[in-house]
Amino acid sequence: MLVPPHGGRLTDRQYEGSEAEDIIKEVQNCTLLTLNAREKNDLEMIGNGAMSPLEGFMSRYDYESVLDLMRLATGPLWSLPVVFARKDGDPEVAPGDHVGLKDEEGTIWGDMQVEDVFKADLTKEAEISLGTTDDSHPGVMYLKSLSGIYIGGKIRSIRRRETESFQNYRLDPKETRVLFRARGWNTAVAFQTRNPIHRAHEYIQKCAMEIVDGLLLHPLVGETQQGDIPADVRMRCYEEILKDYYPRTRVAMSVFPAAMRYAGPKEAVFHAILRKNYGCSHFIVGRDHAGVGNFYGTYDAQMIFDQFDQEDLGIVPLKFEHAFYCSKCGGMATPKTCAHDNEYHVFLSGKKVRAMLKDGILPPPEFTRPEIASILMEAARKEDN
Amino acid sequence: MKGLVIWIRTEEGSNEEILDILGTEIEERGGRVEVFHSKAVENLGMDKNDKAKAIACAMLASHGVVVITSGSEDPSIKSSEKLEIRIIEESDLCHTDAHDGFIRDLELAGLVPPPKYDVHPDEEKEILKKLQDLGYLD
Repeated sequence: MLVPPHGGRLTDRQYEGSEAEDIIKEVQNCTLLTLNAREKNDLEMIGNGAMSPLEGFMSRYDYESVLDLMRLATGPLWSLPVVFARKDGDPEVAPGDHVGLKDEEGTIWGDMQVEDVFKADLTKEAEISLGTTDDSHPGVMYLKSLSGIYIGGKIRSIRRRETESFQNYRLDPKETRVLFRARGWNTAVAFQTRNPIHRAHEYIQKCAMEIVDGLLLHPLVGETQQGDIPADVRMRCYEEILKDYYPRTRVAMSVFPAAMRYAGPKEAVFHAILRKNYGCSHFIVGRDHAGVGNFYGTYDAQMIFDQFDQEDLGIVPLKFEHAFYCSKCGGMATPKTCAHDNEYHVFLSGKKVRAMLKDGILPPPEFTRPEIASILMEAARKEDN
Repeated sequence: MKGLVIWIRTEEGSNEEILDILGTEIEERGGRVEVFHSKAVENLGMDKNDKAKAIACAMLASHGVVVITSGSEDPSIKSSEKLEIRIIEESDLCHTDAHDGFIRDLELAGLVPPPKYDVHPDEEKEILKKLQDLGYLD
């Protein structure tokens, strides 16, 4: 039996076809509010149940409870605000209003029954959620771009399949759950990634696969910052490695349409809870998960899980050390399993790999499978042109 | 699971069908339910809004049972460490959204079990077809 969704049941507030058309007709005479890229990702994930038990953007009670207690006002553990900000130029709204939600191009993506309009303390939000108010943190920059007025309320989201990227890999939580059951999996481990797959990731994933029934490869394809490897390149890497290096029936790949918040430890918990909704019993937490720059300690994203009861969290964090190829061991290892000095370890920083690729040098096979290296090199060349 | 008394505030003489509907809904999820009808209350020699009735409900609930009853006045018992008292108007329970919201709040508070399935069985069939089409399943 799969783990239950967070809060007991999957919310389902996503509509398509004639039901979506009805929503579009309903909001034609309503006030329209503008979604930014992150909010659009959040709207999709509230709608499809990935953010269960959320049924909409947070009201003040939930927002403050999340910041102060790391819980929703109704009780379940929750680590990051999921909020909708009023944009400059958007009309003012009040509780009780029914509003349409559109993107910057004017396409309707859903609606909201406004329950709350409140002023947020964005400095407090940055301190608690991100652990910093430093302007160079992308999450702080994001918060500073907002008005500070949040609008909360239940939403309905519209699914427009024709506009989605990675259409063959779009599985909602209820779909991954059905898939796991059909494959006879009772336990599944999720691997979150916003990087291309190297041998170290492969090793960690396969270690985790030894103790569960299946692996959900869940690359993040929502909004990320400049400099991250584009999602289509990462997806091509995964498609390639799945062909020859993983048992087909024990792995499923699907995209995770969340926006990165770069909130480090709090985002690791957030990612874990969302994967529980996808039916995963385990979640891989690497070093500096969801981190950026030097804002978080190497193990902060792992240690944060120690403060929760397993029953509260409902998904098991699998904490992994950084892995490498050890020429003396003759295989992949981590500091936990290898007795040899660094001189035997093949490890390359992301910066070094990017420099090698730009110079037309393939990273060694101990670091990256040759098939993956070729894809990355091709992408680096295209970027240069 | 913490005990729960659901006290439905009703008009005098209203039928108590709603108690049974709610009781069945929670029972189907695997909850231990006792529906405390007016008839049973009368048979026990209590008034409909009697303090003794409230105490009897609280005693049952303190053993982890979900007790559903009704009354035209508020109960004379309060929530404690062992049990929760939730009061709702009968008219609210008749509206689908309010009914679902009430049950959802009880679920989130851990007072009633969640539904037994995460995906409705009818929808599961459609999803299996989609998964086959996408090549996830043979």
